[in-house]
Amino acid sequence: MILWLPWIPLLAAAVILTIPKEQQRLLRSIAITACALPFLLTLYHLWQFDLSRTGYQFVQRYPWLPAFGIQYQAGFDGINLTFCLLHALVSLAGVFVAARTQERPKEFLFYYLILTGSIYGVFTCLDLFFLYLYYEMTLIPLFPMIGIWGSQNKEYGAMKLTLFITTGAMLALFGLLLLYDKLGLNSFDLILIQDTLRTEPLGQTFQQLLAPFILVGFGVMASLWPLHSWSPIGYAAAPTAVSMLHAGVLKKMGPYFIIRVAVSFLPAGTAYWALSLAILAAIGIVYAGFAAIRQKDMKFMVGFSSVSHMGYVLLGIATLNLTGLSGAVLLIFSHGVMAACTFACIGFLYEQTHVRSLTDYGGLSKQVPFVAICFIMASMASLGLPGFSNFIAELMVFIGAWPVYPGLVILAVLGILITAIYLLRAIQKVCYGPVNPRWNQLRDAQSFAERFPFVLLLGALLLFGFWPNGLLRMIQPALGVLLS
Amino acid sequence: MIPDTFNLTLLFPEAVLGLILVLALLGEIATPKPRPTRFSFTTLTALGGVVLAFAALLPLAGRSEAAFDGLFILDPFATFFKALFALSAIAVIQMSREYFAAASAKSSEFYLTLLCTLIGLFVLVSANDFLLLFVALEIVTLSFYILTAYAKRSLMSIEAGLKYLIIGSLASAFMIFGISLLYFLVGSTSFPEIREVFTAIPKNKLLLLGVLMVFAGMGFKMAIVPFQFWVPDVYEGAPVPTVAFLSVASKAAGFAILMRVFFTVFPALQSGRIVLFSALAFLTIAYGNLGALLQTNAKRLFGYSSIGHAGYLLIGAAVGTPESITASLFYLITYAVSTLAVFLILTVAGQKLQSDELVAYRGLGKRAPFLAGALFLALLSSAGVPPLAGFSGKFFVLLSAVRADLKLLVLFGALMVAVSLYYYLNFVRQMYFEESTRTETIEISWSSRLLIGILSAGILLVGIWQAPFMGFAQNAARYLF
Repeated sequence: MILWLPWIPLLAAAVILTIPKEQQRLLRSIAITACALPFLLTLYHLWQFDLSRTGYQFVQRYPWLPAFGIQYQAGFDGINLTFCLLHALVSLAGVFVAARTQERPKEFLFYYLILTGSIYGVFTCLDLFFLYLYYEMTLIPLFPMIGIWGSQNKEYGAMKLTLFITTGAMLALFGLLLLYDKLGLNSFDLILIQDTLRTEPLGQTFQQLLAPFILVGFGVMASLWPLHSWSPIGYAAAPTAVSMLHAGVLKKMGPYFIIRVAVSFLPAGTAYWALSLAILAAIGIVYAGFAAIRQKDMKFMVGFSSVSHMGYVLLGIATLNLTGLSGAVLLIFSHGVMAACTFACIGFLYEQTHVRSLTDYGGLSKQVPFVAICFIMASMASLGLPGFSNFIAELMVFIGAWPVYPGLVILAVLGILITAIYLLRAIQKVCYGPVNPRWNQLRDAQSFAERFPFVLLLGALLLFGFWPNGLLRMIQPALGVLLS
Repeated sequence: MIPDTFNLTLLFPEAVLGLILVLALLGEIATPKPRPTRFSFTTLTALGGVVLAFAALLPLAGRSEAAFDGLFILDPFATFFKALFALSAIAVIQMSREYFAAASAKSSEFYLTLLCTLIGLFVLVSANDFLLLFVALEIVTLSFYILTAYAKRSLMSIEAGLKYLIIGSLASAFMIFGISLLYFLVGSTSFPEIREVFTAIPKNKLLLLGVLMVFAGMGFKMAIVPFQFWVPDVYEGAPVPTVAFLSVASKAAGFAILMRVFFTVFPALQSGRIVLFSALAFLTIAYGNLGALLQTNAKRLFGYSSIGHAGYLLIGAAVGTPESITASLFYLITYAVSTLAVFLILTVAGQKLQSDELVAYRGLGKRAPFLAGALFLALLSSAGVPPLAGFSGKFFVLLSAVRADLKLLVLFGALMVAVSLYYYLNFVRQMYFEESTRTETIEISWSSRLLIGILSAGILLVGIWQAPFMGFAQNAARYLF
């Protein structure tokens, strides 16, 4: 059944191609169904997931190219199940936003489903060949989606994003090929590689050589400073649904691969480079935070904010201890949901006003109370207010990092302060202050389809804010296996 | 009475093509000249001939025998290439139909010359003797001189033909000089005898000079650095069907004889081959991909990108293991399917847009969504984005090279994929992001629509379900060692 997670959206995309573009209602229902079914399937796997067992569950494998050791293998452990849940939430929320697209909805939904399906592929596959295949496949829909439906400097944004991520992916591919060659197992089977390396790890020198390719290659996707510059521009240019998916989920594929490949396969190599990674992460936190303060465009602000928050994630990974790493994974989840919610708010306003500058708004809590509340809640989550899962996640990162990099933790805590500055200022300028009469006609989110994405995302944030153990009890045993 | 050693059945596909060629020629003379239509007698005969020749290959699949006392051999390696040539010729014939319907030139001779080229290609990959190899190569090259200059009212086409002729003659001269050197030292032109002598004295300077000169002749066909200078101008000037045939069949043929000669005749050259080929692969990939960055003409762009692809093919030959040759042959399949799709779309669109400049493709996404979508797919496949064909091709070539310790070359080849993505996406940008002043939709004939659909499905199929195609490649590669 796990195989259907990527295949439902991908097949639905093929179905959409065959439907005439006039039948917009049908197109929308297909797209929403194709995102809702995998969501339910993910919940089902969450329900069936056996917490008492470590290792991979629901594993299914089909031989593909035996001569090269390639098989289609899918399965869950606590880590990718958490990622999958994140994607299920965000893609379902995003499809409601995507369904509102007025311009060429058929093509947009087609690309959206391809994107959704390939991300599910990344988070379910346990074979390095297919993992990589799905990872790069996400680029196919992204380029036209940003370039055609985007706004403001969209061509530049689309090109920059694609080229940065591809270059990173190529470095990472080289690293994966080196690993495959060195192992001599003639297999891309992730479980097999993991088991083999536990008993006989790779040589220290080789690990040191290989780790940078993985860390930097996938670090580009995680907007590792100074390779982050594609991210704010790309998000500002992208249409709302793409910004949601990209900031919420796609970006998280970078840390996912770093945990799966670097931390798990190359512990010594990663440890060797961990300090450098942590320093870059800390610089990213502060640098992107200051950059966010300077932004007038709300999407740019949130874009820089996401770069800054990915710094916490990378810092958590660089601790290489259980607390820091599980904090990082929890933060990935929390930040993903939060970022998607923020972009959904901005997108909802932008659809009507076609402006995104902080100074253009004011007093929106009177005019559009529902969206304003959602924006405030998401911002509060972002700056780590207790009650949202971001708080506990960031706390765990700090606790994990304190014994290893105390200086960087101080810098990172400073980053929270910076976050508070730009987010509180944004809330003040957008939601409060003098009412701007220009927006008196602004429509609030009213129908179910309009409100559902916000409720879904904020509900998840609150749920796991009060019950972080719901995720941590899956994440921690799985990470324990990787670290042992 | 024909001696048994002639083994004439092996030449059945070539015989079919020859007969059809004569038939078409006679029919052409006998029938009065009507104005050119899309279903002219010659078109149909040529198409039928190629299909028949492909059908004639099927019963020969899996056989590995020699004819004419070892002058001509038919093994799965040769059959693999013949099938590839025949299938690409079918696509090229469809392109020619599109091209000549609109260009309204006299087209019958084009198809006849195409058939003639195909015979040359068929014999070329079966040659087991340098003399036969040279004769077949000349048939191919001479036919291509005609095909390149076929649009005789276009100055660009004449110029392309002339450039191809001059550089091609130079390459042939090198090759025949190399062959004569080999003959001088060995006293024979047959592959097995040369192999025997070369293995005994692999350090002989004169022999090595001969090998290098023969290599130059092949390099011209494959368009690898430093024999690539003709490519951009010829690609820009020649009719699109010719360009498609040049970039798929002619390149594949060059590659076929390169592998045949270097692995069955000069296997003793191994260490030198690795150094030479990997250095040239490096230069070829760099030249093709960096050169393509600045192009504004679609055909020129694909000229440069086809040079880049030759570099990746050469990586497989540099490694020289059965696995890497398999990877290269598989790459050739992926390259053929993507490139044919690209050129078929360029033919159809180019005729309607009356231009091959990239700016002419602005707004194609709205004017012809089907063409633009298929071109998007084919371009991404050429760049090597999964899950499309081009990705698998590059992946397995690079994988085989990593195992052979050509790690820096692999890193370079991988990074150049990102570079190539820039110019391919630039093309996509023109189609989708830029607006055109013209908005009328572009009509596509059902036959082209069908073939584009098949090729697009092929791009996805080869990219996702690699196993059967890998099987063909593996089966062919085995016979080289």
